[in-house]
Amino acid sequence: MTSSLATPRGGHPQQLNPGDVSVARGLLGRENLLEMLDRAVTKRITVISAPPGSGKTSLLRAWADRETHLRRIAFISVLREQQHAPRFWGCVLDAMRNPLGSNRPDGQPAATVALDDDTVFDRVLSQVAGQIEPSVLIIDDLHELKSADALAQLEQLLAILPSPARVVLSSRRDPPIRLHQLRLADEFAEIRAGDLRFSERETRALLAASEISLSEAGVGALYERTEGWAAGLRLAVISLSGHPDAERFVAEFSGTDRAIGEYLMAEMLERQPVEVQSMLLRTSLVDRMNGELADLLAGRAGSEQMLLELEEANAFVVSLDPQRTWFRYHQLLVDFLRLELRRTSADEVPALHRRAARWFAERGDVLEAVRHTLAAGDWPDAARLVADHSFRWVLDGQAGTIRAVLEAFPEGASADHPDLALAHAAAELNEGRLEEAAAQLALAESHLPSAPPARRRRLAVAIASLRLGLARRSGQFSDVIEQVNLLDASIADESSEPIAMGSELRGIALLNLGIVETWSGRLADAERHLSEGAALAQTIGRPYLEVACRAHQGFPSKLVSVATARERGRQAVALAERHGLDDRPILAPALGAVGGMAIWMGEFDEGERWLRRAWEVASTHADPAAAVLLHVATGMLHAGRGQYQSALGEYAAAAQAQGLLTGVHALAPRITGWLATMQARVGMLDDARATLDGFSTHTGRMGAIYNARAVICMADGDAAAALEVLREALDVTPTAGPAFTLVETHLLAGMSHLQLGDRDAAAAEAEAALGSAEPDRLIFPFAMTEAAELLDALPRHATAHRALLAEIVDLLRGASAPDAERERLSQPEELSRSELRVLRYLPTNLTRPEIAQELYVSINTVNTHIRNIYSKLGARDRSSAVQRARELRLLSTGRS
Amino acid sequence: MATPPGLYAIRIKGRLGATALSAFPAMVCELEDSETVLTGWIEDRSALFGVLEQIEALGLELIELRQIPARPTSRESDEGRPPRSL
Repeated sequence: MTSSLATPRGGHPQQLNPGDVSVARGLLGRENLLEMLDRAVTKRITVISAPPGSGKTSLLRAWADRETHLRRIAFISVLREQQHAPRFWGCVLDAMRNPLGSNRPDGQPAATVALDDDTVFDRVLSQVAGQIEPSVLIIDDLHELKSADALAQLEQLLAILPSPARVVLSSRRDPPIRLHQLRLADEFAEIRAGDLRFSERETRALLAASEISLSEAGVGALYERTEGWAAGLRLAVISLSGHPDAERFVAEFSGTDRAIGEYLMAEMLERQPVEVQSMLLRTSLVDRMNGELADLLAGRAGSEQMLLELEEANAFVVSLDPQRTWFRYHQLLVDFLRLELRRTSADEVPALHRRAARWFAERGDVLEAVRHTLAAGDWPDAARLVADHSFRWVLDGQAGTIRAVLEAFPEGASADHPDLALAHAAAELNEGRLEEAAAQLALAESHLPSAPPARRRRLAVAIASLRLGLARRSGQFSDVIEQVNLLDASIADESSEPIAMGSELRGIALLNLGIVETWSGRLADAERHLSEGAALAQTIGRPYLEVACRAHQGFPSKLVSVATARERGRQAVALAERHGLDDRPILAPALGAVGGMAIWMGEFDEGERWLRRAWEVASTHADPAAAVLLHVATGMLHAGRGQYQSALGEYAAAAQAQGLLTGVHALAPRITGWLATMQARVGMLDDARATLDGFSTHTGRMGAIYNARAVICMADGDAAAALEVLREALDVTPTAGPAFTLVETHLLAGMSHLQLGDRDAAAAEAEAALGSAEPDRLIFPFAMTEAAELLDALPRHATAHRALLAEIVDLLRGASAPDAERERLSQPEELSRSELRVLRYLPTNLTRPEIAQELYVSINTVNTHIRNIYSKLGARDRSSAVQRARELRLLSTGRS
Repeated sequence: MATPPGLYAIRIKGRLGATALSAFPAMVCELEDSETVLTGWIEDRSALFGVLEQIEALGLELIELRQIPARPTSRESDEGRPPRSL
């Protein structure tokens, strides 16, 4: 029998969703308490603090039920022994997104909330801060929250509550959070045990409602003995219902000096039919159960019916869902039953745990399966369960679950189990603790020689895979070439030698391989592995893995055009959005790549939007190699808009991030080249030269470096030398693949020719640049090199790329005006007399050499003057300089 | 500072039955009228709060918690040493 409530991850419901449950079933509706709670909740924070069995949960549920059409109610019960802060906040977030009374179709749980990281709490914070409608967050069983982090975060949350929001905390003890401030500000209300106690009148009403007739004396005695303790009264009522001699029961009860809780529970249990007793005892092992599990543990059918009847009788059994398929017992009862089970049938207990473990494992609830396996004392089995599933959790983006599961093991257990060490390594890696991860991997490796041959290969592959993951996170690429080769070989081997690697492990191996290869520039290999990984991910239904693979395929290469790369990046993001994974750091490369491609194509605003998203997603968790990409792309954005200082800053940051990596990042030459170029552009020529000198030569892809050298030459005024360098550049630049550096090379050559007065050669280079740029629409280089003047030299009719040319010119014109505004000084500096003389020639169509001739000065002088003019007027090219000059009335004749 | 290990006597309201007592395997129980006194060796602070939590979970009422001072070990007296087997 399957549950009609689809529970998350095949497990049991994480939280209560009371609905129509308890109140209807004859539990006394204690109106005065409901009103008390109403009054309490006018204050920001209400704390209900009372021992077990005082009636806190019943009150809260009844109240929530009533309140739900007035306010949004998010209700969570903290799971037993909740040590894992992200998990707790995940439940809170889920409850906030699915308030009481909201209908989930088919009882489906909400979209997967990542248990992965601390961002869960941030999301809760923003959800809370953004509350505009009245809402109440109820946290029941707060004492079960054993995470100091979570408690500190809760304090934080309480401090920022907006005015329409309210919080109710319910606990057995006064919660360990600082409420002093709130008390002082009168923002705080308390309900304590004394408030919850039944009065004698209420006792009478309870008995009446349960149709129990008792004498006045009897009622009095009952009330006195229980002292109004809710659980005591309820237990007594259960025993009294249908009791042949109610008065005698009460007499004995008030006469006994037994601790009443235990006495009454024992009574209640004893009064149940034998099958029910047996079921109660045997199912007490698990925290929550449905009919199927209960049957399995009790060893007989019919448990669901028993549970339903017990619930009707208020016998401390509650259903957890509106369909009433999942149940749990009141905490008092569970603890009592567990003790009783151990006392009377201790030898059965391990077997029961094993049965439960197997059931949970089959339903995919590995956390519970592990807990019960451990409880049965089967350590190696538990360790293997963890190891087998660790990779699955990583692939689901649920690596935080590993930590939760490992906490069930005692410390130091991983010393004996390589599988556990692996799981620890995966957990540490996920939490960014790289040294610890490395240590655990070493530990796992030390077990390799002694591992049974059947598992040794698999263990080796798992270790290699995690090492690559570590390399990815730390940027230590050069260390992992061995691992790469091993994995590559193992994966290829799969077909010939069955290693039984398991699809998940294979998937992770492919992913990590692909990522390392991407950043190392081995794009053909990366393409192969990532594609395979993505395909595999689809087959085994692992969206996170598929997103991760595709997120790294958005880069252009010999095989992948810029347009294709951009489309791939977009698809990766769309895929992530579809699965609710679009806020994960793993998506950063895709967002950055799409943004970068947009910028290459001159779509700066579009690019900026993508980059902003990329930065948000990356925050502190992105791989260092991805961070390099984002800095470069952001630098490009600034450079394209003429914000050279900012661009310089970003390229420098990229270089710095680059420095943290071992092994060469694929973008290294370009970063160095552009950094030097920016330095030259803002006049830091020595720094620029030093930057280039600091770059150790590699074969291939040096085009960017040559370009930078040429820029330095031109800044020195030596256009001829620049041309020499650029000629060399052409020799080494590959002809296949996107023409990133080639376009720039042609542009720089053109500008050099222009400086030397050779308009025809300049035009030819401009045409060549357009030709190289056209296939992929590489507009960015034109913006970056301020090619407006160069393009002016190219007659409109002489180009085969009219449309592209027109677009670029528009962009440059459009881009220059506002940027010139930004970079302009508030007061234009005075132009010197010589500069004014040169300025007057600018509106003409005389070339620079011609101007030099007119003025009887050298071309270098003219260049210098023009540079200064541009700088002082905040202009980027001749036409804007002229415009500005006109505005400032600098061109009127009469001055000399 | 840390709760020193030592002998503690915990007084609880009401007499405990076998089931509740089985929650405190490391303690010896004495039933006095309408109270139960659990006496036992408690290792450290964590152990102490573990016991207290167990008391809370069973809905029992704690009356008194007392550390029994260790008497100097003498030939005649066994007190002050941890109980042997429980």
